[in-house]
Amino acid sequence: MNLAIPTPGIRRRSVTGLWLRHAVSFVRYWKFVLTWVLIEPVIILVAVGFGVGKLVGTMDDGVSYAQFVTPGLIIGNAMFHALFETSWNAYNRIDNDVYETALTTPITILEITMGDILWAVTRSILTVVGTAIVAALFGWLNHWEAIGMIIPAIMVGITFGALGFLFSAVAPHTTFLTLVFTLVASPMFFFSGSFFPISILPDWVEPIAWAMPLTSAVHIGRGFALASLDITHLWAALYLIAVTAVLWPIAVFLLRRKLIS
Amino acid sequence: MTEELKQTGATNAAARNSGGSVIRVKKLRKLYGDLAAVDGITFSVEPGETYGLLGPNGAGKTTTMRMLSGLSPSNSGSIEVAGINVVKDNRAVREVMGVVTQHDGLDGGLTVFQNLFLFGFLAGLSRKDSKNRANEVLEFFGLRGRSKDNTYELSGGMKRRLAIARSMMTSPKVIVMDEPSTGLDPQSRNRVWEELAVLKDAGVTVLLSTHYMEEATILCDRLSIMDNGKILDEGTPDQMIEHHAPKEVAQLRVAPAALRTVRDYLTEREITYREVGALVSVTGLNGDRPDLSGLSDVEGVRTSYRAGNLEDVFLTITGRELRDG
Repeated sequence: MNLAIPTPGIRRRSVTGLWLRHAVSFVRYWKFVLTWVLIEPVIILVAVGFGVGKLVGTMDDGVSYAQFVTPGLIIGNAMFHALFETSWNAYNRIDNDVYETALTTPITILEITMGDILWAVTRSILTVVGTAIVAALFGWLNHWEAIGMIIPAIMVGITFGALGFLFSAVAPHTTFLTLVFTLVASPMFFFSGSFFPISILPDWVEPIAWAMPLTSAVHIGRGFALASLDITHLWAALYLIAVTAVLWPIAVFLLRRKLIS
Repeated sequence: MTEELKQTGATNAAARNSGGSVIRVKKLRKLYGDLAAVDGITFSVEPGETYGLLGPNGAGKTTTMRMLSGLSPSNSGSIEVAGINVVKDNRAVREVMGVVTQHDGLDGGLTVFQNLFLFGFLAGLSRKDSKNRANEVLEFFGLRGRSKDNTYELSGGMKRRLAIARSMMTSPKVIVMDEPSTGLDPQSRNRVWEELAVLKDAGVTVLLSTHYMEEATILCDRLSIMDNGKILDEGTPDQMIEHHAPKEVAQLRVAPAALRTVRDYLTEREITYREVGALVSVTGLNGDRPDLSGLSDVEGVRTSYRAGNLEDVFLTITGRELRDG
């Protein structure tokens, strides 16, 4: 079949152009976006950190529960941002022919996913940095290594940005998209070591928890936040990269099937 | 503004197209399963020409337009735009060709101006050039006053014109438009036609699809009649009418109560007719007016005569109404 071969090469303008589109739209609606980026995660942080933290007291190694839960909540929240961008928002862009319009310029499907995932990374960084500053003011981030959380923030943006497309590219309607949260985001948020160490789960559940990509991201985030980095954090990073290497091509394939027919 | 469009309109499209047709489509075919949506069509569009694909919904017009703009893979055949092989290098084609898709595809998250500016940037213009060009096309399309509005606040006609304006951002020498005025009220449609006439004046080559007979007649230098994925005939609107349409068509507006009388009258005299809604059309026999004198006294019947048009051409060629689809 003609045109079956995707256009080769990567055009930088496609990626920056799409990113700029998202940034402009973001700035237009900054008041609403702020509730997502900062206010909501801080509310959860305060509720869990102060509230649950009071009940739990101190974890092993003399770390307070608030200190333990902070990186988990921050990275988990970043996942929601990345997923939302490429599932719900991308679905709307498909549905409103925004991508079709973009495709009348010299852009490719791969570049569309690159531009959108780059924006998912941007959102992830914004919310991680913003929430981390607030957490630091509360005294819940007290190692300078916590700055390194920007690394899992980027990885979360890429991995979950790619994952989100798997839903937007096949969703027949918006109701289908709720699966992103009921099947993916919420189970991960609660079972990926954000709120409690995975080691307290039954033995047979533990491997399942580790298979979820957010677990690795939270693990890395906590390694930086508590300045407790070791070789396991490197394995976690490699695992995330491997998952992304599988998800991204599938995302491109599905999106091409959706848009080029 | 026409001057400006002319000056900025010199892109590499012209450079690459050293003489000959701007668009060349040969034996183009597109299958959806067993169904041939486009079934081996061949046509070409000359520089500065406005060429129309006229046919009902489902004729394969949109699929053809999508294949031309690289939004849909073809099964076989070739497409060349400004000397570029669309099948092999569809990125390069999108650098030189403007596309107006069937749906406006406006970005609801952005203002009118931002829609144009960011499209221009994505298409490769510098920020400064894109900003200037956005203001130019807004001026030309009379949308300058709406530049800070959300796109969803615009009327249907304005949305359509904004979508056309967007395709002008890169000053392309060739534009492909899928049903430029479908769904618009008559006033907006006239406005779109006026603006397209100016583009034509500026030397822009336009390929458009339409199922409006009026649109094809007014805008197109040449056109193809398309049905069931095939091109049935091609020519200038005048040639097509001369070849395929009766010189004159009698139109009877018939009240429901008189319908039976009219049918009986025409059947008795073996006069062929067709009914479209409350309108009974009678084509002249060999250019002569059919004898309808017996109907002049029937209450509820008003008779008028009009010249043959592209609608009749379509009917003659396909045996169906253009508006069936």
